[in-house]
Amino acid sequence: MSVLELPSVREEGWRWSDPEAIAAAAAMSWSDAPVDPADYFLDLPGARIVVRDGEVDQAASDLHRVTLGHVEAAEHALGRRTAGPGWVLELAEDAAAHPVQIVHVSTGGSNHFAGAIRLADDAAAQVVETYVGAGWANRGLSVTLGKAARLMRAVRLIQAGGFTSLREDATLGQGASLVTSFLGAGAAGTRIDATIVAGEGAFAEYGGALLSAGEQRQECAVAVRHAEPNGQSHQLWRAVAADRSTASLAARVEVARHAQKADGEQSLRGLLLKRTATVNLKPELEIFADDVKCAHGATVGELDARALFYMQSRGIPRARAQALLTRAFVADALDRIGSVVVREAFVADADAWLAAAL
Amino acid sequence: MATKNAEAHAAVSKKYEWGFATDIEQDFAPKGLSEDTVRYISAKKGEPEWMLDWRLKAFRLWQTMEAPDWSKLNVPPIDYQDAYYYAEPKAKATIKSLDDLDPEIRRTYEKLGIPIEEQKLLANVEGAEPPRRVAVDAVFDSVSVATTFRKELEAAGVIFRSISEAIREYPDLVRKWLGKVVPQRDNYFATLNSAVFSDGTFVYVPEGVRCPMELSTYFRINAENTGQFERTLIVADKGAYVSYLEGCTAPMRDENQLHAAVVELVALDDAEIKYSTVQNWYPGDENGVGGIYNFVTKRALCQGRNSKVSWTQVETGSAITWKYPSCVLAGDGSVGEFYSVAVTNNRQQADTGTKMIHLGKNTRSTIVSKGISAGRSDNTYRGLVRVGPTAENVRNFTQCDSLLLSDQCGAHTVPYIEVRNPSAQIEHEATTSKISEDQLFYAMSRGLDQEAAVALIVNGFAREVLKQLPMEFAVEAQKLLGISLEGSVG
Amino acid sequence: MLKIENLHAEIDGKPILKGLTLTVNAGEVHAIMGPNGAGKSTLGYVLGGRPGYEVTKGSISFDGEDLLEMEPHERAAAGVFLGFQYPVEIPGVSNVQFLRESLNAQRATRGEAPLSGAEFLKVARAQADALGLDQEMLKRPVNVGFSGGEKKRNEMVQMGIIDPKFAILDETDSGLDIDALRIVGDGINRIMRKADKAVLLITHYQRLLDYVRPDVVHVLADGRIVRTGGPELAHELEREGYGQVAA
Repeated sequence: MSVLELPSVREEGWRWSDPEAIAAAAAMSWSDAPVDPADYFLDLPGARIVVRDGEVDQAASDLHRVTLGHVEAAEHALGRRTAGPGWVLELAEDAAAHPVQIVHVSTGGSNHFAGAIRLADDAAAQVVETYVGAGWANRGLSVTLGKAARLMRAVRLIQAGGFTSLREDATLGQGASLVTSFLGAGAAGTRIDATIVAGEGAFAEYGGALLSAGEQRQECAVAVRHAEPNGQSHQLWRAVAADRSTASLAARVEVARHAQKADGEQSLRGLLLKRTATVNLKPELEIFADDVKCAHGATVGELDARALFYMQSRGIPRARAQALLTRAFVADALDRIGSVVVREAFVADADAWLAAAL
Repeated sequence: MATKNAEAHAAVSKKYEWGFATDIEQDFAPKGLSEDTVRYISAKKGEPEWMLDWRLKAFRLWQTMEAPDWSKLNVPPIDYQDAYYYAEPKAKATIKSLDDLDPEIRRTYEKLGIPIEEQKLLANVEGAEPPRRVAVDAVFDSVSVATTFRKELEAAGVIFRSISEAIREYPDLVRKWLGKVVPQRDNYFATLNSAVFSDGTFVYVPEGVRCPMELSTYFRINAENTGQFERTLIVADKGAYVSYLEGCTAPMRDENQLHAAVVELVALDDAEIKYSTVQNWYPGDENGVGGIYNFVTKRALCQGRNSKVSWTQVETGSAITWKYPSCVLAGDGSVGEFYSVAVTNNRQQADTGTKMIHLGKNTRSTIVSKGISAGRSDNTYRGLVRVGPTAENVRNFTQCDSLLLSDQCGAHTVPYIEVRNPSAQIEHEATTSKISEDQLFYAMSRGLDQEAAVALIVNGFAREVLKQLPMEFAVEAQKLLGISLEGSVG
Repeated sequence: MLKIENLHAEIDGKPILKGLTLTVNAGEVHAIMGPNGAGKSTLGYVLGGRPGYEVTKGSISFDGEDLLEMEPHERAAAGVFLGFQYPVEIPGVSNVQFLRESLNAQRATRGEAPLSGAEFLKVARAQADALGLDQEMLKRPVNVGFSGGEKKRNEMVQMGIIDPKFAILDETDSGLDIDALRIVGDGINRIMRKADKAVLLITHYQRLLDYVRPDVVHVLADGRIVRTGGPELAHELEREGYGQVAA
């Protein structure tokens, strides 16, 4: 198909993908006004790292406790390309770091870069990442959480064009907790791939909102595997598709043979804003233990016409009414972000998307 | 032939009570698969030229195809040359009346409790309404051996024939619809079936006719090393209604046998077809030896406005089941339903579900799937709900529930939802649970033994589906659920 | 009818009953009272044969038979009925189906002919009426969506239909308002107050005993019966509290 050796849509895990969009992004040149990464740092203490076209811009960065080094990549069609120099956040037992903020700027073409987060027992960290610019930004991330370690992540995908692909692998130790929230509110194509392996009593929350417009395609393919007993996971995703865009959510819960008492919950909901848009959902369960609580709900539909009319009859313009209802639709996903500063920034991005798209 | 094999098994396992083999003389096509096999079958059936050409086209196509990706299933390679594609009871010739039926075959159906004689009725249920009559087409290995109540159905204008007879007697009708719902190239097994299908059932219900009785076909694989490839085609013309039941059993044998059927349903304006299956092919023994590979393509075309097709299936048998009875909802206002109970025990594997393809406006579909896994089995629901861009106001509701009875089995839910029209309302829910010890103890403290308690709770779990079955089948299906799960808990 | 001797039982290795001895004769109603955690419900479950309740010592005989050797459903067939404190919900199985199957399974174990659907319905309706349970409830799935009081009444309907020899009623009075309490009490008297039957009422409060007057009252504390007396003992407990009486 292409010299890039991209996955084929004939493969089950890529049936809703658009590999051509990746090829197109890789061939992109960026001529618009330059992006200033400083605009995207939030008012938080701690590390501020600028990754420009796949390399850390040391002059523009304050690494704080983050180090640079070699990072391995997972065996994955896109992710494997990210092996090599990367960023590493490593915390010793009981350590708590200030937040780490990373702004990834792409200025055309393709760039690959990896990161690693390794938290020893009882350590805690917060990482906020933002993707801006255009081109194909391809990232790999490996997360290892020790016993009772806690990681909060928030990722904004707001590239003006091109493609952002993320491959994430996380291993959660006993009682560890990982909360990751995504917001896709740019104009680039998106592919989020992740496998989270939850240990004994671990807690994993992995979800977000993908807002798509134009010809955009955004998708996630995420699996949470309960490898040990008593784990808990929530996958809450919201997909909004306007214009001729496609938003696809594939989320899987796996429960291994002896992982009894696992509690895996999925909520996938799609909202179609235009009759030319597409939403695809695949809430999947793969259960090999008998004493589990796994359930999922999935819905697809449009905005409630009665609610729209009611709001209009009270004087709210239609587009605003749509924006308010759509915002309510995605609120569940963004409410999961713990830090107020981060949540407000993400909500503001979502609002900006809504104002532009409706 | 092969009775020793069956007797040996009957001695060690009493759980599959349909596992006996019938000793009759049979004609076989030469073993293996080639154009000659296809010609042999066609010649045996006295088929017209167009039918042979159609088969040969499928066969040539099949030779270019690759066996499918097996999803979750673990399927050993199948040697297509090591099987018989046609087996016919010798005594058959042409049966003028049911009295001419080979007594051995008649006894087989009696043992199975299937009424081949018209005065007999399906075992009646206590408290039921006046007994209902059911017309039966009995397919023994590759051929239909008896079709009952023909005259009465003809008086109503209903054609109920073996497909071989229909090809000879109603070539225009058959030719018009055969392969229209499941095209020859649809999938590997459908293509194979198109080349070598041996017999099956044809039903045509003319405009405005409500079929006066339930129609049913009982499929029985008897001969050893024989694949069964039946083909069923049901056409309900405008405003017609028909309810069709299908039951299947096979003897217990060490080797695996292939069953690759194709079922095509067509519903025109305001027509309704209710298609019910109780599938109880031999599932193999508790170590996974033997059993039927059940690779079936079933699809309905709701072509007419406000047409309706309802699939109900109770799947308890087969070593491997691979089956997705589907509805193409083309006509505006058409309705598709899929109600399924799939039970897997021991080493059984089931991968089953449905596709609801919404093309017409105001089309609706309901999917209720109940998977029950026990032993070391794997049970997968795989489904697709697709809404096309011009399909306005589509409604779908899907409920997928899994019940696990052991900690060595698997339950999987793989639903695909693809929506290209914003006016659609799609809802999907799924749950996974086990029988709680509280429920078991409560039922046992009221006097039920453990197996009765499990059967009761499982039947409750599957109730939404079982109540869709015609009453005679519902009772049979309930018993079957209990039998299939014997010894699976505790 | 029921003879418990030096019964020791534990759950997950934790001893709950520590040498309980009790005899209930035909025609008698016994009440077992005691503070929370005394082992009252455990006694009920051990008598019913609930898995996980392990008898480590002692014996229970019922009509001369060794009850501990029997499976739960065999105990039911032998005439033992356990009224649950928390009746279990069974989705998809109607009350009618559940009870008819239960009753006929018991009859089959006893070598009696099954009741036909019509015969059964007649009995079921009569019992539901007597206990003020809406006929519609019989058709609904077992205990699903029932209020606490409805569940308890449903237990009594089941008891009426099954017509056991011996009933262990575990906190049957909890969750009932005063009217329901009277109906349930009348039900117990009507169904079980007979010369050839006996009842073991497990309760925390005296109030049910206003309606079902016990012949014997036992106080259970820390896995043993610490006092036995007549109906007046229940009143004493109500006045003085368990602390005083059990001490």
